[in-house]
Amino acid sequence: MSKLSDVIGFEVRRNLKKKTFWYTTLILPVMIIAVFAITQASSNHASNSSQQQTSAYSKTAKLAVLDETGLINKRELISQHIVIEPNEQAGIDGVKDGKLTAFIYYPKNVTKVGIQVYAQDQGITFTPPYNALASQLLSQNAVATVSTATHDSEAFRVLQKSPSVTATTYKNGAKTNGLAGIVAPIIFFAIFLFFVVMLSYFMISATTEEKENRAAEILLTTIKSRSLIIGKILSIFVLGVVQIVIIVVPLIIAYALFHNHISLPGGVSLSHIPLDAKAIAIGGLVLLLGLVMFTGILVGFGSLFPSAQEASRYLGIIILSAFIPLYAIGYVISSPHALIVTVFTYFPLTAPSTVLLRNAVGTLPTGDALGAIAILLVIASLSILFAVRAFNYGAMSYSRRIRIKELFQ
Amino acid sequence: MPSPDNKAVNTSIVDVASFAMSFGRKEVIKDLSFNVNKGEVFGFLGANGAGKTTTIRTLLGLYKPSSGTLLINNQRYNPSMSATIGYLPEERGLYRNEPVINTMVYFAVLHGLSEREARKRALEYLKRVGLSDKANERLVKLSGGQQQKIQLGVTILHEPSLMILDEPTEALDPVNRALLMEIINERQTKGATIMLVTHRMDEVEQLCDRILLLKDGSAALYGQIDEVKEQFGSQIIALNFTGKFLANDKLYKVTKRLPHYAELAWLKNITTDDVLHFLADQQDLHLTTFEVRRPSLNDIFLELYKDQGGSNV
Repeated sequence: MSKLSDVIGFEVRRNLKKKTFWYTTLILPVMIIAVFAITQASSNHASNSSQQQTSAYSKTAKLAVLDETGLINKRELISQHIVIEPNEQAGIDGVKDGKLTAFIYYPKNVTKVGIQVYAQDQGITFTPPYNALASQLLSQNAVATVSTATHDSEAFRVLQKSPSVTATTYKNGAKTNGLAGIVAPIIFFAIFLFFVVMLSYFMISATTEEKENRAAEILLTTIKSRSLIIGKILSIFVLGVVQIVIIVVPLIIAYALFHNHISLPGGVSLSHIPLDAKAIAIGGLVLLLGLVMFTGILVGFGSLFPSAQEASRYLGIIILSAFIPLYAIGYVISSPHALIVTVFTYFPLTAPSTVLLRNAVGTLPTGDALGAIAILLVIASLSILFAVRAFNYGAMSYSRRIRIKELFQ
Repeated sequence: MPSPDNKAVNTSIVDVASFAMSFGRKEVIKDLSFNVNKGEVFGFLGANGAGKTTTIRTLLGLYKPSSGTLLINNQRYNPSMSATIGYLPEERGLYRNEPVINTMVYFAVLHGLSEREARKRALEYLKRVGLSDKANERLVKLSGGQQQKIQLGVTILHEPSLMILDEPTEALDPVNRALLMEIINERQTKGATIMLVTHRMDEVEQLCDRILLLKDGSAALYGQIDEVKEQFGSQIIALNFTGKFLANDKLYKVTKRLPHYAELAWLKNITTDDVLHFLADQQDLHLTTFEVRRPSLNDIFLELYKDQGGSNV
């Protein structure tokens, strides 16, 4: 155990001193800042586009409104074919029964309690702009009445500060989490892809350095190869966590400072993210097993080659397998029973990203989750054994590439 | 053929019995048996490809033997025993891009020292070998000889009771070679056992108590150096001279001839005095030395491998 911690400490310290680690770590926050800046620059265009979208939506959807503020012109609502509901429960029932696409409720003290939107959950492929529509209707009518209003009226307060919008979605009469529901489990998917992209080179070159430096022989007589490999794998995970902290901490600070100016799609509020224990448990387990499997395969694969340069030629093929399910994302979301989704769910190299994606969008039955976890558990264990065997066998083959079949002769 | 253990009363540290090793169809080692006694310097000799490094790697658990047993302190080697072993491999290397002190401390800690003790000993060692100012340099910045000193430091820092040194003087300059010899001698004085793999017969004669000479995967010679010499062949006359050297088929046979050096094997019923008188009587010959001795290990080595030409030796 102490030798394991010695290996982890040594590996983490020396990798933290490498320039390549910091280049790869810092490039992502730089890209995020760049994307954020571009998004802000194009916000005017987006605002116009949003207005056109909400206008089109109000014409096609079956909408209802209950206005207790008295700010909204009922004649205008009728002209837009928007139903006026007599009470809140009737509007909610209309959405639950499927008679209404969305019901917007403006309470009397709307600036304090916010606008309530009840809408049909139409899946993550279509995010209706009902939140924008709700805000738009209120602000347009507030502008129309403000000339006759007093300074302490609700109309003034609405124009001074837009009320918050809280959306509740229903599917087949039952309440759903809507877009907010995917936020927590999708983080596991993002972390998985992040690890694969950012750390795969460290994984594949974890043992080639010992070979290139001819240090493998003395190491193997000093520490068990299994301890060495596990120590290296854990040190890679530690480096990944360091990278995530470096990236996430500025984002958290940025959110704390600018959350009033940041809006997420579908009216998702970061302060109201639902945490589904089952989805989080599946996400955490699949993430862990997927990372162990990929790390084991890459570390073992690297051990077969005499140098990191030669091994990294094949890196793209392995990384690609983690991304292939993204090409079938349409099927994963809308046709989860399609053959290609089933294959990707159970094929070890594509299983982690497919399962994590399905887990996030809510198309992963428990049976599929357990089946994929069982496969990943077996393959992750085998990949560690493969890495140890490949290092044992290939460590002293300083100038020759080892073929996988040689490991089993 | 291996001879019986000449120091049966001594405790055996390394025991190799009926060891055979094949890579695919190629048989590298055939039924090899020997032991290394506690506190001795044991020379493990042989030409390139004779199987020395394979034997060492199998002894240290890096290879699995095809058959036979290889034990250190009566057990198969595993890395948990590394605190007592100092191994200098033939293929040398450390982390080239790491500072010298970090690498030395890391390996010493893996060998069982505390980090504090490892750092203290590493700094003491660097001072001793004149590399104190290189402690924080990356290894790659050091010269080849300096890197060798660091490698040796990694081998001995934890004060192992058994040192296995595979070609330790390879590529060392005379100064570093002398330093290594001094360290080996010092470690032996403190009770360490040393297994020395080398090509250099002068070092073997200076350092080793017993030797094993491996040829084609088998022990061609095994035992104390004097016994091996006796086992191998009779005495010779070694001459250094100036002037004209004459052959004499009635007195001796010239076994080796250089411009100012010759080795002679005297014939049956002839004494060394007869040879000396004959040579002393030659007007054009001036003898500077006349020595009757057993063949050197170098002679024996060359004689054993003469059928293989020079390429492998």
